[in-house]
Amino acid sequence: MRGAWENLRRTEWFGLLLIAIVGALILAAVKQSFLSTFNVYVMLLGFSISIMVSMSQMVIIAIGQMNLSVGAIGGLVAISFAGFMEVWGLPIPLAILAGLAIGVLCGFLNGILTVITGITAFIITLATLSIFKGINLGITEAQPFYEVPAVVKWFGNASIGPIPYLVILPILAAIAMWYLMNRAVIGRQMLAVGGNAHAAGLSGISVGRTVVAAHAISGGLAAIAGMLVVARLQIGQPTIGDDWLIISFAAPVIGGAVLTGGHVSVIGTCLGVIIVTLVSNALVLLAIDPFFVQLLLGALILGAVGLNRYREVKAEAHRGRTQEAHA
Amino acid sequence: MTDAFLEVRGATKDFPGVRALDDVSMRLEPGQIHALLGENGAGKSTLIKILTGVYQPDSGEVRLYGERQRFQTPRDAIAAGIGVVHQERNLINRFSVGENILLENLPTKSGLVDYAAIFEQAQPWLDALDLHVDPRTPVLQLSAAQMQLVEIAKALSLQTKILLMDEPTGSITPHETEVLFNLLRKLRDDGVSIVFVSHKLEEVFALCDRVTVLRDGRNACESRPLAGLRRADIVKLMIGRDEQIGRFGEKVIHRDRPALVLQGVATGRGHRDINLTLNKGEIVGLYGLIGSGRTELAKAIIGAERLTAGHIEVSGRRANIRNVTEALRRYRIGYVSEDRKREGLILIHTVLRNVGITIWDRVARVLGFTTERIESASALPYIKRLEVRTPSVHQTVGNLSGGNQQKVSVAKWLAAEAEILIIDEPTIGIDIKTKTYLHELIWGLAADGAAILLISSDMPEMIALADRIVVMNDFAVVGEVQNTRDYDEVSHRIMAHIHDPSEDAVPAPTAAAAIA
Amino acid sequence: MTNHRRPVAILFSSNQFGLLLVVIGFVLAFTFGTQGFASKFNLFTLGRVVAIDVMIGYAMMVVLVTGGLNLAVGAIGVASVMFGGWLMEVVGLHPLIAVPVTIGFGASLGWINGYASVRSGVHSFIITLATMSIFFGAMIVLTGAQPFRALPQEFIQFGKMRVFGIVSPLLFVTLAVTVLLVYVFSYSSFGRKILAAGASPAAAELSGVPVGRMFIYGHAISGALACVAGLMLTMRNGAALPSMAGQLGADWLLPSFLAPVLGGTLLTGGVVSVIGTLLGAVLVTIINNGLLLLQIGEFWVQMFLGLILLAAVVLDRLRSVLAERRRATA
Repeated sequence: MRGAWENLRRTEWFGLLLIAIVGALILAAVKQSFLSTFNVYVMLLGFSISIMVSMSQMVIIAIGQMNLSVGAIGGLVAISFAGFMEVWGLPIPLAILAGLAIGVLCGFLNGILTVITGITAFIITLATLSIFKGINLGITEAQPFYEVPAVVKWFGNASIGPIPYLVILPILAAIAMWYLMNRAVIGRQMLAVGGNAHAAGLSGISVGRTVVAAHAISGGLAAIAGMLVVARLQIGQPTIGDDWLIISFAAPVIGGAVLTGGHVSVIGTCLGVIIVTLVSNALVLLAIDPFFVQLLLGALILGAVGLNRYREVKAEAHRGRTQEAHA
Repeated sequence: MTDAFLEVRGATKDFPGVRALDDVSMRLEPGQIHALLGENGAGKSTLIKILTGVYQPDSGEVRLYGERQRFQTPRDAIAAGIGVVHQERNLINRFSVGENILLENLPTKSGLVDYAAIFEQAQPWLDALDLHVDPRTPVLQLSAAQMQLVEIAKALSLQTKILLMDEPTGSITPHETEVLFNLLRKLRDDGVSIVFVSHKLEEVFALCDRVTVLRDGRNACESRPLAGLRRADIVKLMIGRDEQIGRFGEKVIHRDRPALVLQGVATGRGHRDINLTLNKGEIVGLYGLIGSGRTELAKAIIGAERLTAGHIEVSGRRANIRNVTEALRRYRIGYVSEDRKREGLILIHTVLRNVGITIWDRVARVLGFTTERIESASALPYIKRLEVRTPSVHQTVGNLSGGNQQKVSVAKWLAAEAEILIIDEPTIGIDIKTKTYLHELIWGLAADGAAILLISSDMPEMIALADRIVVMNDFAVVGEVQNTRDYDEVSHRIMAHIHDPSEDAVPAPTAAAAIA
Repeated sequence: MTNHRRPVAILFSSNQFGLLLVVIGFVLAFTFGTQGFASKFNLFTLGRVVAIDVMIGYAMMVVLVTGGLNLAVGAIGVASVMFGGWLMEVVGLHPLIAVPVTIGFGASLGWINGYASVRSGVHSFIITLATMSIFFGAMIVLTGAQPFRALPQEFIQFGKMRVFGIVSPLLFVTLAVTVLLVYVFSYSSFGRKILAAGASPAAAELSGVPVGRMFIYGHAISGALACVAGLMLTMRNGAALPSMAGQLGADWLLPSFLAPVLGGTLLTGGVVSVIGTLLGAVLVTIINNGLLLLQIGEFWVQMFLGLILLAAVVLDRLRSVLAERRRATA
C-alpha cells in the first residue's frame, strides 16, 4: 500500500491530480449545485468531446509535429455522418464506418503529404484545414443537417444518473491510447520518432510509415469526436470543430507533453481536460462572464508550458550536479 | 581463400561539390577485426553509411556472402545482419537503457511490448561491457561515456555476424576501452567480423588484424594484413607523405602580457576550479576526450555559459563577460566553433553576410544604413587574405567545400579584429592541403600577437601548433604538458594525464604500455 | 535569401518574377472571363482588400524570418483596434494621437509574445496559441463584445476616399510600409541581424548577434503591423468590430501564411522576400475576388485557397529538389 502511494506520488501527473481533486472539493464546498446531477452530466459531456479532441492532437505531438486540421476533420466528418443518414439514408452503422473512414483518410492524407514533400506538418495541415473546411462549407452551404436518427440523438443525451452514455467512447479511447503509447510497438516507435527521428531511422524504424500511422490515428479520433458532437447537438452543424484548436493543444500540454515530440502522457492529458472542464464550470457556477473561459484557457497553457520548462531546466541542473558527484 | 563476409567493390559517392568516395574497395573476412583508417574527411563515415543503407553508392557494389546487396534503408542492412555503432549519438533520450538497446527488435507478449523481457535481455549486454547501470534508467540521465557504451550494447544485442564500429571509443575512458577490446577479441574468435574505425592508431595496433586506409576518398591501401606495418607506414598511407611535425617560423610569446587568465572558474555545466593562462602571442592547446568539457569551457569564456565561481581576466583586468556580444565588442574574444554547420556559419546566407556578421554595427551609417558595398569594403580584404575559393562573395556558404567554409568562419573573426581567438577543432573534415594552410594561418596569427586557445582531438595537430598543452578530463584540468614537439613523448604524457589524473607529468611505464 | 543585387536583376532572376507572371495571367483571365472584374468599383474594392491582406502577410512575415510563428496576428489586430476605438470614441482622443498610441499598443502585445517565447525557451507556436486566446478573451471581456460605431469622421473617411476614382489611400499606407520593410531587410544592419538570427540562432549568437532581442523585435514589429492591418480594416468597415477577424482572430491565419509562403519566405527562418509577400497577397486577393465573380460560391473559395497553399509549397519544394540535383550533377 505504501509502495503504491510512493509510486503515485512520483508520477509526473501527481500534481495535476492534486489540483483536480482540490479544485473539485473547493467547488463542491462553495457551490452546492456543483454536485447536482445536471451539472455533473453537463461537465461529463464537455469532458467527453474534449478527451477525443486532445487525444487526436496528442498522437501528433508524440511524433513531434502539430495538426491544425483536427477541428476541420471533425467538422467534415460530422456533416458527412449526418448527411449520409439524412440525404443518402445510410443505416447508422454504415454511416459511422463511413465517417470513420473519412477521418482516417483525411489524417492519412496529412501524413502522406508531410512525408512525401518533407514540408512541416504545420503548413500542410494549415492547407488541409482550409481544404477540409472548404469542402464542408461547399457541401452544406453553411446549413446544418437536421434529420439525425432518433437512436443517435438518444445516445447523445441518455444517461445513467449523471453519467452520460457518451462518456463510454472517450474512456475506451483513452485506455486504448494508453496502451498504444506505453505498450504497443507502433506507439513506442512513434515516440522514438518524435524523440529522435534520425536515431529511430538508424534503428530500423520506418519513420515515414510511423508518421503516416500517427496522422491516420489522429484523423480517426477527430472523426469520432465529430460524430459524438452530432449525437450530442442532435444536428450536423458545419461549425462543429471550429473551436477545437486551443483545447486540443491545451490538454496535452497541461498534461506534460513535450512539444518537440517524444513524450506525451495520456493520464496527464485526461487530467488536463478535467482541469479545463472544472475551470470552465466554475466560471459558469460563479456566474462570471463566460468569455473569461477563453482568457483562462490561454493562461492555463502558458502556466503549463512555463512549469514544464521550469522542470526541464531543474532536471538538467540536477543532472549536472549528479555528474559532478559521479566524477 | 575463404568467401568474404562483406565486400565493397569500386564504390563511388558524390555529394554536391565534392566526391566523397572514389572507386573504393574493402574486403571483410570471417573472424577478422578490420581497421578502416583515414584522416578526417577521407571518406570513412561515408563508406560506413553505404554499408548500412544510409546512403546508396552512385556506382560500385556491396556484396554480402558473395551476393550483391542494395540497401535502401538502414532497415535493410539490419535485416541482412549488419550491426552498427554510428559515430553520432543515436539514442532516444527519454527511453530507458533497455528499450534503447532492444529498439530494433522489441520483445512482445500477445502483441504488447514486454518490459520485463526487455530489461532481462538487456542486462547481459550491460554486464559484458562492465557498465553498471540499471536497464530501467532513462538514457538522459547517463554520462557521455555511458551513452556511448549503451550504443555499443545496442549493436552487440543484434548478435550479427558483422559489426561496424565508427569511432566507438571517442568518449570512453582507457579502462572502458580495454573491456570493450577484450569483448571484441572474444567475438572475433567466435567468428564475428568487425570493421573498426578509429583515429587512435594505438588502438588499431592493439586490436586489429587487417587494415584499409582511405585518403581523399580513395583507397590508399586495401585490406592489407596489419602485421609488419609500422605506425609510421600507416601514417604515411593516411596523409600521403612522412609524418612531420610542422615547423613554422619563430614567434615571440609575451609571457609578461597575459591576454586571458582563468582563476578558479566553475560553471553550471560542471567545470570546477579551472585555472588557465593564455599569453599574447601564445598558442595553448586544450586536449581531452569528447565530453570532457572543452567546448563548454570555451563557451563559458565567451559568455555563452554562466560562471558559478572564480573569475576571468582579460589583458590583466577583471572581466565580467555576460554575453557573446560583450566578449566580442569589449574584450575582442572570438570563438571559431567546432560545429561549423550549426554554430560556425549561416549556411543559407552568402559568404559576404557570413564574414560581415561581426562588423555590421561598426560599419553601418545613420539609421543602421548598410549596403553590399559598405559591407564588402571591410570584409573583402579578409576573404582575400584567407584565399577563400568561391565564385563570388554572393555565393551561398552551404555550397562551398568544407575547407573553404572553415576559412569563412575564421575570416569573420579576423574582420572583427579579435585579439583572443578560441579555435575549436579547426580541421575536422578538411582536406590535407587546406589543413596545412589553416595551420600556417593559426601560427601566423599568433606570431602577429594574437593569443590563441586551440581545442583539438587531433594529436599531431596539437603537437604541431601548441606551445603548451592543457589536458582536461571530466570537466577539470588534470595536467599541463610543455610541448617539446617530440610526438611520442608528448602524446604519452598527455594520455597519462587522462588515464590517471592523480599522476603528474611523468608517466609511469605501465600507463604508457597500456596505451601503446 | 534577400537578393542584394540591382533591383531590376532581382525581378528577373527570381521566383518573384514567376509570381508576377502568374498574377498578370490571373488578372487577364478574370478581366476577360468575368463580368465586372475591371470595373471601377471592383478595382477600388480590390485595392482596399489588397492593402489590408498585404499588411496581414507582412505581420506574419516578420516573425517567420526569425524562424517563429505568430498565431495571434488576428487577435492582436482586433484587440488593439478595439483599444483604439475606445481611445477615439470614449476617451475622445484625436485620431492623430490615437492611431500612434494604438500601434504602440499592438507592438507591445507582440513584444509580450516575443518576450515570453525567448525568456521561457518555449516555441512561439504554443506561446502565441495561448496569447491568441488571452488577448481575444480579454478584449471580449473588456468590451462586452460591443463594437465602437461612432468613430471620428476624419478617421473613417480615410477608408472611403478615392484617388483618381479607383485608388484607395490605404494602398499608399501599404506602399510606405513596403518601402520601409525593403529598407530594413536589404539596407540595414538591423535587418541583417534579424535574418542571421532566424537562419541559425546558434551561429548568430556566437557571432555576437543578440538573438533573443532580435526575436523580440520581430514579434513587436509583427504586433505593430497586425495593428495597422486592423486599423485599415476598421477604416474600411467604418466601425471597430470585435468580430472582424472571426473567433479568436483565426480568420486572418490562412491569409497571413499564404502571402509570405507564396512569396518565397521560408518557414525555417532567415530568408525573406518583401516583394514576394506583396505579390503573394495580391495573387490571393485576386483569385478570391475572381472566384466570387465567377459565382463559384463563396464557400468553395476557402477550399481553393487551401489547394493553392498546398500547390505552392509543393512546387517550391520540387524546385529546390531539382536545383539540388542540378548542382549535384554540375
